Amino acid sequence: MGNDKKQNDSLNEQPDQPKEEQPPSLIDKIQQLGQTNVPQLSQDSKIHCLTIVGQIEGHLQLPPQNKTTKYEHLIPQIVAIEQNPKIEGLLVILNTVGGDVEAGLAISEMLASLSKPTVSIVLGGGHSIGVPIAVSCSYSFIAETATMTIHPIRLTGLVIGVPQTFEYLDKMQDRVINFVTKHSNISEECFKDLMFAKGNLTRDIGTNVVGTDAVKYGLIDNVGGIGPALKKLEELIENNKQGNEGIVQ
Amino acid sequence: MILYTSMPHELVFPTDAAEFSKQKVVTYNGIPLLVEMDGGQDCTVVRVMSSDPTHFMDDKYTPGTKITLA
Repeated sequence: MGNDKKQNDSLNEQPDQPKEEQPPSLIDKIQQLGQTNVPQLSQDSKIHCLTIVGQIEGHLQLPPQNKTTKYEHLIPQIVAIEQNPKIEGLLVILNTVGGDVEAGLAISEMLASLSKPTVSIVLGGGHSIGVPIAVSCSYSFIAETATMTIHPIRLTGLVIGVPQTFEYLDKMQDRVINFVTKHSNISEECFKDLMFAKGNLTRDIGTNVVGTDAVKYGLIDNVGGIGPALKKLEELIENNKQGNEGIVQ
Repeated sequence: MILYTSMPHELVFPTDAAEFSKQKVVTYNGIPLLVEMDGGQDCTVVRVMSSDPTHFMDDKYTPGTKITLA
């Protein structure tokens, strides 16, 4: 019993001691008073911007000296853009040489299924798998000097061994063609003609489409840069807002 | 030596695995950044990975600036 009492006393004493010491120790711990540098949340932009530059990286990781766009980076960002109610529109800036077909199609499908207005601008180049990404947005722009190379799907370094491999490649190509014709005003015949044209790319098959020609073929909606693109995006956001309000009422 | 092959360069001469670990994506003050590790906790900003255009206006995270990861 005596021991118990002692223990109780010591237990009672222990919380008392820090209580007396707490006020000075807390003040001692404070080194600086003021606000922390939190990124300015109030200045959050209602338009977000995705830049698709360099190569579109697929399953094979490219060495760090290559400029690449990784789909594992882009796709979570697209998900975040879709979920964040503060973000009203998305601007996609393309300057890509192309890359992995499946990664490119994945990004294209994500952009196409986004419920918010999207506008793409092709600056410099939007080649090969950059074409479906450019057309996936609600409205697309191309700079006057920008180009887009349309060519059949290729495999580097691998030799087609069996007819099935060729059939698989052919099906993959159909996926690209279907996507592009579904999301732009170009007809399947016209797109295939450009894809299999001879003599445009020296000894290769395909076509290099320059700014105004891309609009002429119906692949891209308009020629323009950042100014017209942002104006169009604002317009689409306004239309989207009005549409949503209509549903609520 | 001239090597005639249809194999891609990166398949013939694979990059050292250590090269890949030099660069990584970190979230610094809520901003995703692609950084190159300089050794220890110090790193250099290579690219701003954010989709928010205001993050690109912040001169604390412009490519080339050195940051210390806490």
